[in-house]
Amino acid sequence: MCLQNFPCQEVERHNKPEVELKTSPELLLNPVLICRNEAEKCLIETSINSLRISLKVKQADELENILTKKFLRFLSMRAEAFQVLRRKPVQGYDISFLITNYHYEDMQKHKLIDFIVQFMEDIEKEISELKMSVNTRGRLVATEFLKQFI
Amino acid sequence: MAAIAVHQFAQCITCHAWSPDQSMVAFCPNNNEVHIYRLSQDKWEKVHVLQKHDQIVSGIDWSARSNRIVTASHDRNSYVWNLEGSEWVPTLVILRLNRAALCVQWSPKENKFAVGSGAKTVCICYYEQENNWWVSKLIRKRHDSSVTGVAWHPNNILLATTSTDGKCRVFSTFIKGVDTKDSRTGPSSDSKFGEQILQLDLSLSWAFGVKWSPSGNTLAYVGHNSMIYFVDDVGPSPLAQNVAFRDLPLRDVLFVSERMIVGVGFDCSPMVFAADERGIWSFVRFLGERKMASSGSKYGSQFSEAFGKLYGQSKHGVSTDAVEPSRSRGGVHENCINCIVPLRQPGISTVMRFSTSGLDGKVVVWDLENQADLSDYL
Repeated sequence: MCLQNFPCQEVERHNKPEVELKTSPELLLNPVLICRNEAEKCLIETSINSLRISLKVKQADELENILTKKFLRFLSMRAEAFQVLRRKPVQGYDISFLITNYHYEDMQKHKLIDFIVQFMEDIEKEISELKMSVNTRGRLVATEFLKQFI
Repeated sequence: MAAIAVHQFAQCITCHAWSPDQSMVAFCPNNNEVHIYRLSQDKWEKVHVLQKHDQIVSGIDWSARSNRIVTASHDRNSYVWNLEGSEWVPTLVILRLNRAALCVQWSPKENKFAVGSGAKTVCICYYEQENNWWVSKLIRKRHDSSVTGVAWHPNNILLATTSTDGKCRVFSTFIKGVDTKDSRTGPSSDSKFGEQILQLDLSLSWAFGVKWSPSGNTLAYVGHNSMIYFVDDVGPSPLAQNVAFRDLPLRDVLFVSERMIVGVGFDCSPMVFAADERGIWSFVRFLGERKMASSGSKYGSQFSEAFGKLYGQSKHGVSTDAVEPSRSRGGVHENCINCIVPLRQPGISTVMRFSTSGLDGKVVVWDLENQADLSDYL
């Protein structure tokens, strides 16, 4: 993760994350796509002053699909609190992070990486817990409801 | 231990320069000001704040003999500061740039300076006595992308530039009226301004940090693909060597002597490269200790708090045993080093001391005096 401050080449006096703009191809590096299987992917795009990490989380069934979408949308809406989170995920992925040189100056690199890894682990845990609690609640409600017909 | 002094000046330092007597240091604390600190009785005190730029100051150079500071900033301007009495008086230099200025350096004779910019041009500025101001001449149409580094050859005429298009170019900057034509054969016989002497296409990735060796025979620059390139006999048929290393890329280099170079970059520790008797360059070692300190479990605490607030502290029990926290690289600097400046003693051509500054806000002075294994190369 080697980022540096780089003023915009297209517009004077501006400083924009080059990975979002993509106007100067020489400032972008090759994107790396890591796939564990069809359903889980990680795309890392880098440029001279910014880095975008997009992840697709494993979704086994419809219920997980809905839970993931709602949960991650909830987090993305509050992206300011997380600073490195992107408000909208990149097309085709569930969640995206945008790290710029300013984050690199304020925070330490290995801690940023630790944060992202921990964040994703926690998301996975949360989603499985949510799924379990939805299933449990459904079962309880159904049992109670059907008791009156016994 | 090679680092003899560590000074924490700010949260983040973009670039720095030392005064000729090395008692004062000027740096940019990642904003639009330049702070000058003086060392008096072992304490650093802020003596001047130069506030003229509107955006971050990307380059500072302090001339050794004429005691002038030149600063260049992302707001497309450059100022030359003269010390009059106890105040630094700025003089605007009309650079005629339409993008940010990225780097600046005084020429060896200090009558010119070069500014590399995001407008894909290099400005050479010289002082016009009749009008009492600094005039710039642009080298256009040669670079394909931003110019990230400039370096003057000791003959005051040749200028090497590096750019984010991966190429290193050498130009002649002969200006009639400012430079005197030396009766020397060789590269300096091309005396047209802006004439490209050489274009080196060795790197596939962005190039930074170019420097000439003290005699001007060798040119070194760094590529973002973790390689450092050495070019001997700069002229019609140069000899190039690439040295690849395993670690993170470098940002800047400094020639300590003809055969030893120190590189600094994203690795937070300076790296030493040296050439043996045959002239083959290779990596020697890192300077300074590399302790492996483990980062504590409080990583990015504001994030975990925000997360915890949303979901209740109980769920977010910090399970750091699950993920092994990555270790910091240790060493004196904690973040990327982006600037290395020599501290020359007058009369001695090899550099025994130099200073580095980085994104962690520290300026560290290093000394090569006691490094026994490196003294053969000095």
